[in-house]
Amino acid sequence: MEGRAVSGLFDEIAEVRRNVQVGPGLHLMTLVAPRTAETICPGQFVHLQIATNPAHVLRRPFSIYAADMGSGEVDILYQVVGEGTFEMVGWQPGVQVPMIAPIGRGWLPPVGVRKALLVGGGVGAAPLYMLCDALCATGARVDVALGAGSAEHLVCLDRYDDLARPELRVLCATDDGSFGVEGFCTSIAQDALQWAASADEPYDYVATCGPEPMMRIVADLAAREGVLCEVSLERRMACGIGACLSCVVDTAFGKKRACVDGPVFDARELLW
Amino acid sequence: MVNMMVDLGGLRMKNPVTVASGTFAAGAEYADFVDVAALGAVTTKGVSLGGWEGNASPRIAETPSGMLNSIGLQNPGVAHLKEHELPWLAEQGATVIVNVSGHSVLEYMQVIDALEEAPVHAYEINVSCPNVDAGGMAMGCSPLSVGQVVSRCRSLTSRPIIVKLTPNVTDITEIAKAAEAFGADAISLINTLLGMAIDAHRRRPKLARVVGGLSGPAVKPVALRMAWQCSHAVRIPILGMGGIATGEDAVEFMLAGATAVAVGTANFTNPHATADVIDGIQRYCDMHGVQDVNELIGALEC
Repeated sequence: MEGRAVSGLFDEIAEVRRNVQVGPGLHLMTLVAPRTAETICPGQFVHLQIATNPAHVLRRPFSIYAADMGSGEVDILYQVVGEGTFEMVGWQPGVQVPMIAPIGRGWLPPVGVRKALLVGGGVGAAPLYMLCDALCATGARVDVALGAGSAEHLVCLDRYDDLARPELRVLCATDDGSFGVEGFCTSIAQDALQWAASADEPYDYVATCGPEPMMRIVADLAAREGVLCEVSLERRMACGIGACLSCVVDTAFGKKRACVDGPVFDARELLW
Repeated sequence: MVNMMVDLGGLRMKNPVTVASGTFAAGAEYADFVDVAALGAVTTKGVSLGGWEGNASPRIAETPSGMLNSIGLQNPGVAHLKEHELPWLAEQGATVIVNVSGHSVLEYMQVIDALEEAPVHAYEINVSCPNVDAGGMAMGCSPLSVGQVVSRCRSLTSRPIIVKLTPNVTDITEIAKAAEAFGADAISLINTLLGMAIDAHRRRPKLARVVGGLSGPAVKPVALRMAWQCSHAVRIPILGMGGIATGEDAVEFMLAGATAVAVGTANFTNPHATADVIDGIQRYCDMHGVQDVNELIGALEC
């Protein structure tokens, strides 16, 4: 945006430390990127160059799953959906990855949130993890609803469980009923929101990431209960730094860029 | 020390490297990565009189060694450019080329008129965008309409006028000659090549607008050929572009006859691309004992 000449972005050469399959079409990559690990905020993303194959002229945006300042490592959970992610599967430890970071407006829960509901569908569970950790650290009660095709797709569950916070509750839904309730995580979200309202213990913040139809349902449910809801959008991106206008999103305030005005938006402003 | 300074039809550039309009906004977004004042010029995103919304999403798709875009010249209008981006560029000490767009000859004229008092060093007249229904490429495909818009713009300004040409014509030299005849100081080429991409599994086009402009290394051979042809057809200087990502790419365009070059899609791959290209040209000159970068212009041996 104008007047924001230097925004603190940098291009860090990250190095692959681990890159392993963790589920069907799902891979977890750990990169050594100390600057990124130190500066990235929950919900922000990095823009990776597919440097191993110059035919890929566009970088690929990935939310950060976890960041460890001590070890200088960041984790990215990715699903193989196209040629870029297919290329990434072949990255062995030691591969150098140019990476623009830390990009975008991440999750911005209001200060003093007491009770939050996080709803993650598929790989959308990953960008919510750092938020979950941060909210728990403030002492907020956090309920997490994770949805996936089957138990073996629920690859983020262990990390949420490992947080082992007394204020944290994680509920799961799978399409085939192989873990948790059978169905969608939106049903869990609906029950949780309604129960909380009827018990007079309402949520004061909802965050969701996953397939857009799922996020729309969650946003509608939150709106019905009058709860602030933030959503993380995914768009095809070219520059990733706000210049090219490839990733625009229609909002009540005109077109906004998913890369730097988002990727996290207040659901109320989206025209979707 | 190599002399890197070039003169693009009256626009003095400290080195031959600018950016392709639309890939760099007005530069502020890249300020974390490059010093915009160190470029030969910053070419700003196409600007219309009152601003345009642009096209529906998805607006881009990657293709082998390239990409398609159908942004559609989304811009907030010339008043916004004057109020926000141009003062910032002036503050940085950048040399500025404003890419001027319009749906009609009148709109191009109104945009230039609005900019005459602003800190701008040259205009690039966009008669080549493939992603708008009026103006743009629709106006750039016939020597007659190009001549018309160029002559009307010429009457409004003494600043250098660069006319940006589309490659989506049978003979680009005819358009180049018309631009020259009606008062252009330079021509820039190529804008993107009209193309499309299809998702076979969904049986859907990858772009909402179905068609879009192809750019990136994939188009470089076409762009080089056209720069070379135009350099033999007109006397005015050429701003060459199309797939430039390295200093060597830039040198190739200069050998083909370009006086200056623009880095476009490579800015997306590598936000430092412009600085890398400038360094690369300098290294090439050092390596080949070239004292003055101007020696490269049209120095192709064939």
